[in-house]
Amino acid sequence: MDVFEVRGRLDVIAEELASEEEEEEATDEDVFEQGSSDVSTHTQQMKVSTDSLTPDRASAVCDAALCFQEQLNKRRSKLSQKIVEMENFASNLEEIFITVEENFGRQEQNLEQHYNEVLQTLSQRNEARAAALDEQKNSKLECLYGQLLRCGQTLDASKELIESAQELHRRPDKHGFLQAVMPVMKRVEQFAGEEVDLKLGVSLDFQVLTPDLSEVRQMMESINVLPAPSAPVMNPQIANSATDTSLHVCWSLFSDDTVEFYELYWRLISDDCTMETLQEVSQLKVKETHCTVSSLRPNAQYELWVTATNTTGISPASERAVYMTVPSPPVLKPRQCVSSLNAALIRWDSGNTDPVESYTLEFGETGTDGSGTESIVAIPSCECLLQLQPQKIYILHVRAVNIGGPSDRSEPVHISTTGTFFHLLEDTAHPSLSLSADGLTMFYLDEDLPISHMTFSDNTFNRCVAVLGDLVPVRGQYYWEVEVDEDAEFRVGVAYEDTQRNSHLGGNNTSWCMRHILTPSRHKYEFLHSGWTPDIRITVQPLRIGVFLDYSRGILSFYNAALRQHLYTFSCHFLHYVQPCFALDNPGALTLRTGMTAPAYITP
Amino acid sequence: MNRLTKLFDKSQIVLRNINSELKCHSLYITVNSAMALTQVSSNKCCDGYQKVFEHDSSELKCKMKFAIYLPPKAESSKCPVLYWLSGLTCTEQNFITKAGSQQAASEHGIIIVAPDTSPRGCNIEGEDESWDFGTGAGFYVNATQEPWKTNYRMYSYVTEELPRLINSNFPADPEKMSISGHSMGGHGALICALKNPGKYKSVSAFAPICNPIQCAWGQKAFSGYLGPDKSIWESYDATVLAESYSGPELDILIDQGRDDQFLSASQLLPDNLIAACSKKKIPVVFRLQQGYDHSYYFIFSFINDHIKHHAKYLNA
Repeated sequence: MDVFEVRGRLDVIAEELASEEEEEEATDEDVFEQGSSDVSTHTQQMKVSTDSLTPDRASAVCDAALCFQEQLNKRRSKLSQKIVEMENFASNLEEIFITVEENFGRQEQNLEQHYNEVLQTLSQRNEARAAALDEQKNSKLECLYGQLLRCGQTLDASKELIESAQELHRRPDKHGFLQAVMPVMKRVEQFAGEEVDLKLGVSLDFQVLTPDLSEVRQMMESINVLPAPSAPVMNPQIANSATDTSLHVCWSLFSDDTVEFYELYWRLISDDCTMETLQEVSQLKVKETHCTVSSLRPNAQYELWVTATNTTGISPASERAVYMTVPSPPVLKPRQCVSSLNAALIRWDSGNTDPVESYTLEFGETGTDGSGTESIVAIPSCECLLQLQPQKIYILHVRAVNIGGPSDRSEPVHISTTGTFFHLLEDTAHPSLSLSADGLTMFYLDEDLPISHMTFSDNTFNRCVAVLGDLVPVRGQYYWEVEVDEDAEFRVGVAYEDTQRNSHLGGNNTSWCMRHILTPSRHKYEFLHSGWTPDIRITVQPLRIGVFLDYSRGILSFYNAALRQHLYTFSCHFLHYVQPCFALDNPGALTLRTGMTAPAYITP
Repeated sequence: MNRLTKLFDKSQIVLRNINSELKCHSLYITVNSAMALTQVSSNKCCDGYQKVFEHDSSELKCKMKFAIYLPPKAESSKCPVLYWLSGLTCTEQNFITKAGSQQAASEHGIIIVAPDTSPRGCNIEGEDESWDFGTGAGFYVNATQEPWKTNYRMYSYVTEELPRLINSNFPADPEKMSISGHSMGGHGALICALKNPGKYKSVSAFAPICNPIQCAWGQKAFSGYLGPDKSIWESYDATVLAESYSGPELDILIDQGRDDQFLSASQLLPDNLIAACSKKKIPVVFRLQQGYDHSYYFIFSFINDHIKHHAKYLNA
């Protein structure tokens, strides 16, 4: 807190305290007065009553005494409350005082530090200047010394010359004198012609460098002013604080800086390497140390950083933190979910273009209002096999999870464990087959559709006009029924998932089926596997065929469900899981009925 | 005299009471000689008992033997009954020694009763002349012609006397009866079921004679037992009976060996029966079993399927 602020606060507190004390004294006095007046009236009453004591009067007196006691107690409790409040207040004041002291101490330290820095800088400048001047002095001295030497030399030379001239002058030999005088005279002339440089080679002035004191000025100015804040610290993402379009971002101050506002920046981190330019940076001005950023993309990573600003300036940017929005909820695929009496296989679409970490499946029985909900977490892929109780209806939701947390719940799907439930798998259907909207009826409409109009894939049947169903991948017991038209030539049974798509059901060793052929004279029935069938005649045409599969006993049985008549049983050791298969050999329709438990006559 | 008859009646009543209290499968002896059963043999088999009894038959007017398998369940509660009718030349022994039915009967808790195929020891002239007529070839009809009509009443024996006998002497559930048979016995099972709608919960057959009026065996037997009246013949022909059947729904299982010599000799004629049942919508599953013949090896191979077929209805 600022010193001025603190001072201001203290004044306010002092006022409040003074007024409170007055108030309290007043109220206390009132209370006491009231109390004492009550007491006096009561005692008066008592006095009056004790004079003439009759039984009635006595009881009245007792009542009065009790009343009086009650009132005393009330007053006492009120007083003790007041005491407690005052104590709290006193402790609050203490805290404030301590905080102010701390703040003051801190400010002092701050200032000291500042001044120390300034002094240091000044002395540095000073030293630098002194050193510069020193250098100058040295160079000048050197120069002068050189000059001096030269002067000395010149002096010596001229002295020598004078001596030789004098000597010459003293020579008696006139002949010799004339011979030697000319060169000497020349030399003297030459010498006299030379200018003697008598100026000082060096100026006597020193260059004084003006030191750079701007920094010092700045520092001096900043002492009286708040320091600019230091970079804040981004907090890591709090679990479950994000939604699929928003993030709750938190940060904190590195130290107890004064901050006017923060500016939060964020940018989408794109995994897409083809994007050469970085995403746009968005920013928001925030007063608190937290903020909720919205209109974001789900299941995306964002880079966030924040700066703090006060009157002095802006702090450096904080370290960048990476937050992630929660994914979009997945989409359950009810057509691809299958169930049996005690298990279900649930499938869904991720609902997000980028991968998520895992999925969570939540389920409970309908009608329990979520009280009996179970969750399965850390599901790595978009499907889950669960064990369930028989004869119940469950409601399921799934969520996608990433480091930001779990997504919202998906739309629910209802799963029934009253029997075997599945739908026809559209992506395995021969192109000539069309499936009903509920995925339970198949129609073979036009036998003469040209092949060019049909789109095949690796998964569709391309010779036999067939389609597969799906079962829970558990080796248990399954029962379903097939309803056929009277003149439909069909094949119904089971096949391995990888049964050859270019062969006919029952014609290979990966499928087992019951086949109906219509001849002009009669109905013919075959029970095909590996192209072989036993010779069986059936007199009443089954229009509702019950199919019963039991992995543990290795049997596949067919029944005329309307008559509860057993038709045929394959004994086969299934090496892999099998899927129900259906085919039509002539135009017609076939309807699947699922969801019933195997009738009692089948499973004794 | 009156006192004696009264005494006699009283003792009968007392004894009947004792009998009805006794639930275990031990010897049942009553004063009434017509109901007297004598145990001929008893062998423990598959935790139950394969027994043979002899009695004086009122329909056939002679001593008759029958085999009865009592499953373990019969020791503590009433069990449903499967009647098995054997084929030409058989006695009550063939089925119980060759068919291997005891295991399935024990598992499903079903009593199997297998009577003889004709009256024996009646000293009728010509009864032993052929193997397919007379002794061992009763054809499960009530003969109308002499000298057969007194004794050769296998139809009534199987449908009336025998069930009464079984129900009063053994822990049998009188409401739960089924019938099956082989060859001539198959014909017998089919006609008993078709002529008594609702009496039998289920019926099955091995290589049955489906249309006797059209095959040599049937023609020989019917002309001998029933005379020239073709309408009486038709009343014992499964194919004809099927064409006019009306009653509770049946569920017929028929197994036929493909290599059965009698099939190729046109004695069995299953196609006729299938056609009739198809027309009348009588549910039949007819299985032509590759490689199998007319013998008990064929019966042994598929008897479990048949008992399971009957158990579905008897134990429902």
